[in-house]
Amino acid sequence: MTSHHPVTRRSIGLALATLAGLGLLPRGAEANSQGVSKDEIVIGALGALTGATAFIGAPGRDGIQLAVDGINAQGGINGRKLRLVFEHAFTPAESVAAAKKLVESDKVFVLILASGSTGAAAAADYVRETGVPTYNLYGSTPIIRKPFAKNVFHSVVPPAEISGGKMVDMIFEAKPDAKRVGVLAGTYAFPQATKAGLLAALEKKKDVKVVVEEFDQGARDFTSQLLSFARQRVEAVLVSGSFSEAGFAIKQAPEKGVTNMTWVLDGSAVNDAIIPIIGPENTKGVYGYFNVPYFPAQLDPPIVKYNELWKAKYGAPPQGRPNVYDIAGYSSTFVLAAALKKAGTDLSWAGLISAWETVKDAKPSDFGGPDVAFPESFSPTDHQGNTRLGKAAIKDGIWQVIAK
Amino acid sequence: MAEFIMVIIGGVQFGAIYALAAIGVVVIHKATRTVNFAHGGLVMLGAFVTYLVVVELRWPYWTAYVLAPLLIGTLAMALELVILRPIRRADMFTVIMATIFLGIALSETFRLAQNTEMLAVPSAVKGPPMIVPLGEDAFIVTAEQIWVTIGALLTGFAGLALFRYAGIGRSMRAMASNIRGAQLCGFSIDRVYALAWFFGGALAGLAGVFAAPSKGVSPELAVSVISAAFVAAVIGGFDSLIGAIIGGLLLGVVETLSAAYVSSAMKSAVSFLLLFVVLLWRPDGLFPERKGRDV
Repeated sequence: MTSHHPVTRRSIGLALATLAGLGLLPRGAEANSQGVSKDEIVIGALGALTGATAFIGAPGRDGIQLAVDGINAQGGINGRKLRLVFEHAFTPAESVAAAKKLVESDKVFVLILASGSTGAAAAADYVRETGVPTYNLYGSTPIIRKPFAKNVFHSVVPPAEISGGKMVDMIFEAKPDAKRVGVLAGTYAFPQATKAGLLAALEKKKDVKVVVEEFDQGARDFTSQLLSFARQRVEAVLVSGSFSEAGFAIKQAPEKGVTNMTWVLDGSAVNDAIIPIIGPENTKGVYGYFNVPYFPAQLDPPIVKYNELWKAKYGAPPQGRPNVYDIAGYSSTFVLAAALKKAGTDLSWAGLISAWETVKDAKPSDFGGPDVAFPESFSPTDHQGNTRLGKAAIKDGIWQVIAK
Repeated sequence: MAEFIMVIIGGVQFGAIYALAAIGVVVIHKATRTVNFAHGGLVMLGAFVTYLVVVELRWPYWTAYVLAPLLIGTLAMALELVILRPIRRADMFTVIMATIFLGIALSETFRLAQNTEMLAVPSAVKGPPMIVPLGEDAFIVTAEQIWVTIGALLTGFAGLALFRYAGIGRSMRAMASNIRGAQLCGFSIDRVYALAWFFGGALAGLAGVFAAPSKGVSPELAVSVISAAFVAAVIGGFDSLIGAIIGGLLLGVVETLSAAYVSSAMKSAVSFLLLFVVLLWRPDGLFPERKGRDV
């Protein structure tokens, strides 16, 4: 005979108190319900609206706001509407200051890091210390992931070891006999995180010589790096950086004697704005991965619907928008909404964290939105919502996901 | 050897753009004695006009070569009229500060308006890279490199000819030589200053059209171009148009050689080192304006 012990609010409270006593829960996580009122939940987000990583932060803000509007139009979450407070943060110092302002001054209930690896790494210690439920949308850096934090969840961008492994696989799918592989990585946070993943994956390949070259953020001249690849007769290059950096490197390659090259780009560089840089006629041999199943220019119904919503709110999109960060910001907000809904009406940080860990296959259609990302699932020991990546190539003048 | 030639070709391509930007700086300074630190912002706007015309409006590329100099020249003339004319009699420091902050205002307005890392512009000319045999080796040159190098240099030399031989150039040279004397000869300060700013702005606009495909359109373009244009102009003697062209080419080649054989990160440092070396060797630049008179 099995004895049943019903899980009551009291027993959960006792368990949480025990965990808190043991130091396993972040300070303040137990009963904090700041940012929650009778009819509103305030969510805060930070990211760069100007500067070199504005291609991440600005789409993040727009994607989140688009989802917030959609969720509110469906009646909100358990009777409460969502309200977004977004803070611009480009540098690490700005990221920490923005996180502190959002949590301590704006009193947001949940913090979304829509800043890429630089901001996520900078804010990592602060969010761990405060215990605010945090959703890391774009940071692949291990600094925000390790050590494991109970209050930090990760969205569509997987850790660098997964994306790096996928990129290396693509190289050898395109050139199975490649013996000399180049790694071209930016010196800033997210390319360095990806570089570590790439080198770890390349280490497993026997008899492959790896040539590593780096560049500064915003670089436009890749003379020294490309000459190094040409001198060492590199056959394929893995690029970790933004679309402009990758684009100019590929464009300048023939000018430096680098021809018949296979290029594999990380997700940040896989953007339609790269095509005018390299020229549509020079896109053969250029591959990448994409963190969501559709590119904005594809004609699959979910992404067509998403584009309609985006244009209805923001008008005609500028070049390169909406991009993966728009889509990820949008879909991730629905995942957050699923966690908030599961947490019930008596919201607290601890309650949200517990509910978030039980979310399975959360997707926008749960709240009436188009499913433009892979569904996300979490567990108490795994806070990475998505690990799937699509293989992408440029076909008919646009990026397309060719294998999911 | 083939590698070295490819590096030199790349350097000359960037150098030609620097030269064109530097000529615009020199023209405005020569005619109005104003050091225009907003010139990089005008180049950036020229590149932005290219983006609008070619990418957004999908008009033929040649329209960018016509519209960008006209629009940016007119904008530069308007800036002179509205901002610099009222402070023309102020001390040099005030005028310099005004152009510095004007440049910052142009860049930041663009940054706030566009909210993007960079706008990409396709190349004006397309085609596969050309492989040129060189003994047992071969070097590669692209159609864009040829077009930008020849186009920018021809534009620069056309500007030089206009300044030296045409009527409007004569008025600017007269003003540069002696303002009071030029006025007594019937030249209007207001008209000549407006013309000089239009001319300099038009050259900045054209430099932007040539630079857009190889550097993209972003506020960082303004910064990179203005620093290169000033180094090129100072190397050339600051008041010499031919000096600006040679200074630009020299700077482009030295930058690219240092990127190729020292380090990309050292590129800027090497260009400023070149500036110091030239100034230590010839403090008035390579082509100083003649100060003496034949008697």
